[in-house]
Amino acid sequence: MRRALLAITGLAAGTTALVVLKGSPGAVQAAQGPPAAASPSGGATPSADRATLGAKPRASATTPAATRTPTARATTARPTSAPRATTAAPRATTRRVTGPVVENEYGNVQVQIVLSGTRIVDAVALELPQETAQSDRRSDQVDGRYSGTSGQVVQRQSADLDTVSGATATSESYRRSLQAAIDRAR
Amino acid sequence: MTHPHTHTAGRRTGNPAPHGGRSAAPVPPAAVPRRGPGGRRALVGLFWAGLVAAVLPWWLDTPAGSLDGSAAALTAAGRITGLVAGYLLLVQVLMMSRLGAFERSAGAERVSRWHRDVGATLLVAVLAHLSLIVVGYAAEGGRSVLGQAGELLADYEDMVGAFAAAGILVLLGLTGVRALRRALPYELWYHLHLASYLAVALGFGHQFSNGAQLFPPGPVRTGWIAAYALVVAALLWGRVVAPLRFNLRHRLRVADVVAESRDTVSIYLTGRRLHRLDLLGGQFLRWRFLAPGCWWQSHPFSVSAAANGRWLRLTVKVVGGHTADLREVEQGTRVWAQGPAGTFTAAHRRRERALLIAGGSGIAPLRAMLEELPPGAALIYRARTPDDVLLHRELDWLAQERGTDVWYVVGSRDDPGPRQVLSAPGLRKLVPDVARRDVYLCGPPGLVEQSVRALRAAGVPRRQIRLATFEL
Repeated sequence: MRRALLAITGLAAGTTALVVLKGSPGAVQAAQGPPAAASPSGGATPSADRATLGAKPRASATTPAATRTPTARATTARPTSAPRATTAAPRATTRRVTGPVVENEYGNVQVQIVLSGTRIVDAVALELPQETAQSDRRSDQVDGRYSGTSGQVVQRQSADLDTVSGATATSESYRRSLQAAIDRAR
Repeated sequence: MTHPHTHTAGRRTGNPAPHGGRSAAPVPPAAVPRRGPGGRRALVGLFWAGLVAAVLPWWLDTPAGSLDGSAAALTAAGRITGLVAGYLLLVQVLMMSRLGAFERSAGAERVSRWHRDVGATLLVAVLAHLSLIVVGYAAEGGRSVLGQAGELLADYEDMVGAFAAAGILVLLGLTGVRALRRALPYELWYHLHLASYLAVALGFGHQFSNGAQLFPPGPVRTGWIAAYALVVAALLWGRVVAPLRFNLRHRLRVADVVAESRDTVSIYLTGRRLHRLDLLGGQFLRWRFLAPGCWWQSHPFSVSAAANGRWLRLTVKVVGGHTADLREVEQGTRVWAQGPAGTFTAAHRRRERALLIAGGSGIAPLRAMLEELPPGAALIYRARTPDDVLLHRELDWLAQERGTDVWYVVGSRDDPGPRQVLSAPGLRKLVPDVARRDVYLCGPPGLVEQSVRALRAAGVPRRQIRLATFEL
């Protein structure tokens, strides 16, 4: 019985130690193994959580014309300068603008919009949290409500979207990535 | 309750000369070779490696510094305890799989002790996991704790099963509390414990549908599933295949049932190829007598004679409903046995000499072990009345043949004689080099406790004291 008590104490102490080691901001960054998804948003934002909302847009603004899909199929092989030029063109040239990766506690969210002129005609979630079956389902709800050629993004033409109940964090991250993409497009 | 026959007399000393005055015709077999603690150490090492491997995915998946805020920290702690609990549950099942590796290198007694300690830890880990996750999620979503628990049950996949599994484990943990376990009949307790397999099955799903580390396909998920498959395979091997092989090879039958005293019987068994049975004195098997009324129960009993290639014997005191039935077992009854198991043997000695302390029917394993210990062992046999002294002819004979000192200490626990013998000075007087001996203890709990206290006081290191306890 004494050993069981020891083991239980060890469990509590070990768990606390692990959480503290990971949680302290000054912790060594070395042990970032598999989740390569954390890197695209840059080392500038190591702590991405809803608590640091304010820091986020600035960080995404500093990242240069990042993450543009090179496989953009239609026109626009022209990169950054293109957006303004196309505003004049009445022709329906579509282009794709990708928002930054926004992290939340469930995973990463990244939104890409397709514009025809200045009008958003489609929205695609390149990345959504799929950590667990539950977050997968929430992501599906968010995706179904917002994305697509007839989703809320296209209807409202802005990042002012209704929060999907039960998926607050993911909705919020989606809007932020979307807002950054819209800012970038205009 | 003083008994008239209280005495500490009856000392019989073995022959000091190696082969004595008798002709050395039946040369006593040499002591069995030692078996070191290597196997046990390997198992302990594997356990810790597995524990690290179970928590490592969390460590690698979590970016440093990402746990600011109490909600995130709570959820993280919930995930860690969840991984630990999942791992410990597998370890628990594995330890009860009756694999030869556990039964013979770590010892069934020690494994059952581990099982109890790990079980307590597992229970705490499961409860911590459950409450940390609920509170953590509630804090993240700004909900009440109860509301969050309801949402987990209603909206998340496989969570009803997981909550049920936690409930089963709590229930089993309660029946593990010593007082309660004593109150329950062994058979009922045993069958309740089978529900733990249900807990494993019910808890399986939610780890993969809701476990942050286990949901995404990849090496971690594959490895975790492989661990489950391994444990199931071990269970099948240890509980089904190995016993089947053993019993098909040996085909044991009851040859005779002999009364040793008013409440003790010896059951002799014969079978085939018994010379190939790898059995050490002091080990036990789990016996299932295939007779009406008995066949559905399996009980561990030590053999009371070392392997001799011709027959096996168990000496059983009638205490419960099952053992009463054993008196009526007929000759020729088939016996299904599992084992042998245990490290309470002469092969696991650390020292050249041994002191054996037996109480009542606890003599059985020690009697078998005496045949395999090096000469120079000593036996103290506690019994309530002279009638309770079992197998004394054999003991006297062994004392002669193997140079063993045997003391019969007869009388009630409170009589001055027994009290004096089972004290530190008394033990030192009987066995002056007691601190340099292995001590093997088998008997009722009161005697064992008293003896351990006296032995420790007499300067015997804890590691040299071996207990044969079948409580599980």
